[in-house]
Amino acid sequence: MTKEKKRVGVYICHCGGNISDVVDVEAVRAYIEKLDGVAVARKNMFMCSSDGQKMIEQDLKDGLIDSVVVASCTPKLHQGTFRGALSRAGQNIYLLEQSNIREQVSWTHTHDHAAATNKAKQLVAAAAAKAEMLEPLEPIKVKTVPCGIVIGGGIAGLRAVRDLSKWGMNVVLVEKSPFLGGRTAQLDHVFPTKEKARDLLDKLIKEVIADPKVTIYLNSQVIDGGGSLGDFFVKIEQTFRGCTEKYDLKELEDAIKDLPKDIKNEFDYGLSYRKSIWMPYEGCWPSIPAVDWENFQPEDADKVNGSGFEFQPNKEIIEVRGGSIILATGFDPYQPAQGEYGYGTIPEVITLPQLVRLMADDGPSNGRLEINEHPVRSVAFIHCVGSRQVEGINNPQPDGKVNNYCSRACCTATLQAANELKERYPDLHVFDLYQDIRTYGHGHEEYYQQASKNQILFLRYDPLNPATVRPSNGRETAVSITVKDLLTQGEEMELGVDLVVLSVGMMPRNIEQIIDIFKLPQGADRFLQEVHPKLRPVELAVEGIMLAGTCQGPMDITEATAAASAAAAKSMNILSQEYVYLNPYIARVDEDLCTGTGLCIEECSEVNAIRLENGKAVINKTICNGCGMCVAVCPNDAINIQGWTIPQYKNMVSKMLIPAQELA
Amino acid sequence: MTKVESSYTPNILLLSTIDCAYPGADWAGQMHMDHYVQAFNLRVPSPAMFPEEFYFYCFEQGFDGILIMSCGAECPYPGAYDRLAKRVDHLYKMMKERNLETDRLRLTAICTVCAQAYVKEIEDMAGNLKTLPPIKKALGDIPQGVN
Repeated sequence: MTKEKKRVGVYICHCGGNISDVVDVEAVRAYIEKLDGVAVARKNMFMCSSDGQKMIEQDLKDGLIDSVVVASCTPKLHQGTFRGALSRAGQNIYLLEQSNIREQVSWTHTHDHAAATNKAKQLVAAAAAKAEMLEPLEPIKVKTVPCGIVIGGGIAGLRAVRDLSKWGMNVVLVEKSPFLGGRTAQLDHVFPTKEKARDLLDKLIKEVIADPKVTIYLNSQVIDGGGSLGDFFVKIEQTFRGCTEKYDLKELEDAIKDLPKDIKNEFDYGLSYRKSIWMPYEGCWPSIPAVDWENFQPEDADKVNGSGFEFQPNKEIIEVRGGSIILATGFDPYQPAQGEYGYGTIPEVITLPQLVRLMADDGPSNGRLEINEHPVRSVAFIHCVGSRQVEGINNPQPDGKVNNYCSRACCTATLQAANELKERYPDLHVFDLYQDIRTYGHGHEEYYQQASKNQILFLRYDPLNPATVRPSNGRETAVSITVKDLLTQGEEMELGVDLVVLSVGMMPRNIEQIIDIFKLPQGADRFLQEVHPKLRPVELAVEGIMLAGTCQGPMDITEATAAASAAAAKSMNILSQEYVYLNPYIARVDEDLCTGTGLCIEECSEVNAIRLENGKAVINKTICNGCGMCVAVCPNDAINIQGWTIPQYKNMVSKMLIPAQELA
Repeated sequence: MTKVESSYTPNILLLSTIDCAYPGADWAGQMHMDHYVQAFNLRVPSPAMFPEEFYFYCFEQGFDGILIMSCGAECPYPGAYDRLAKRVDHLYKMMKERNLETDRLRLTAICTVCAQAYVKEIEDMAGNLKTLPPIKKALGDIPQGVN
């Protein structure tokens, strides 16, 4: 079937000088203008500007062109912008093709302007070849499920839930642990406001649980999921918490007094022990004990005297549906390797999160600064443990990579802890061993200034030659540190201290299953990766899935809650619409060519989007994912992916390689 | 066919997946990683859509080599990568039957941030292709009657 070719308008962007400093834009325009099928070829300093867009609109309105090629940056950035121009001119938005001559030409062939210009000509010619074969398409209309799904019940997840529910939206919150609050519940005071972390949490939790629009699933793991923008499903496995009644810590202690207290308490980062039935702290939500099924022994059941307990680890599979998903799965503190700065081999070496628990009123020593029941007279903090690591100096993680990123929140957190120690115990000697101090946030620098006033002694180490920590062996203090101090021209210093605190960085939490289910992109640092750090900072490449907080990268609570609110606002954009529209890039059958071989059905066995009706293949439009496997096996060329057809690709390939004499 | 060192500039077609390799190519650009010029990206949902005949069409159009830059194990389409791998195996057999060097085709996996791997694959293929005759010449060498 012969289809009428489109008259193509080609618009080439200078991108300030990003493109035109390398590519001769006028030469590209002049070359493209001469190609068959190209009706107009123009250039503009910024095609994404309103002037640039108006140029396209005007040519469409004047009837000069039918389809559009914009040669500029990657389509990920401005596809929506240029589709908007087509839409305003009354043209079908899918009659647009983009040629990426910035990221894939001018930014990668900087040193050969002539070759870059030729390559730009070839890529733009190929795009024009596709554009002349484009057809108007209609997006697939999906009825939005008016409910948001938030995965993770820490402070970012709670903030997102609260924002969505406040705007009138139903929300499902899925939390892996039996309690809400996440890492924030383990903190004491937060910078820079010095509020109690739990006061912040309590306020949010109170609002969330009071809202009937919010459904909370605790003790729940995501085990499956799917769907698309506007209509996702998430299958969760919820484990019974083992108790249904409220308790305070004293009542719980009475009920379980005969249980052994031999499980390292993760809430205190292993500094204390707990029992197999537990609550992390007084006033946690819910104040209903949970059974730690992994450590609960069958004989433990006979040792419990309280009511409301039922010792059956029943699991229930629940499927929830929502129009968008917000991931707020959080982080784990870096766990130093055995022996790293003496961690795990010298008892007086702990991490900053452990110190925070030690200093908390309800911590393992009730807020007293003591280690192994000995008071502490001197402390040394070591920054950047597990962050800003250097290949060849630091041991890699299991994936073979070191954590070369900065964890951002730990400098201020370290100085906050150092100041607080000094203010609580004025006679304490505090040393701070750092690479660089990065107190970057609003109100953070004050902690650095205050540290100087508090006479905290700073020593600067070289990351290529970090400090060594070893037991003091009989000296007055428990630990000896040797460090070359760059502030005193590399003089070697030896410090004797009672306690060493490793300021550990953040690591992404292990959410492999969720990543696998939804095919989520990760950055080189293993955190989830947004589409673009500035233009789409809380969106994932999987449309409809948003990021909130530290699953995206290291950040403090201020930033995590800001990201959560942004993710909630982005979700509302989807959830507040009755319908969302998906790309129409799915399989289409040419009934004239289809002979009903059924090969496509076999090829689509995983997705089952094709069936035979009256001897012809029929596509289920809401199931087809546009992979194109069916295309390759059709002996009659009767099936293609709309917008990405084999004839379009062939036309591109045939126009891409231009003889050298034509390029000159 | 004997391998010869040649000074021509091979043309490479890159079949880059929208979800993985194409953003990987963008990332190489964002990092300003200069690399071999005559390598051209086609943005594709999944290379599993291309029948064997398409590859030979590209060779005939003058592409000396084709790099399939897939998502590998990260492919968002169930079953697509396995089928693609089988098709590439089949293609190798067909290429041998047609006296075409299998070095002209390579299946690889490039992720959204695999900028270095992306550049290396291109440079490696360009280097390999320079030891082979240009595709037009190779196709001209095909004996009559071989399918």
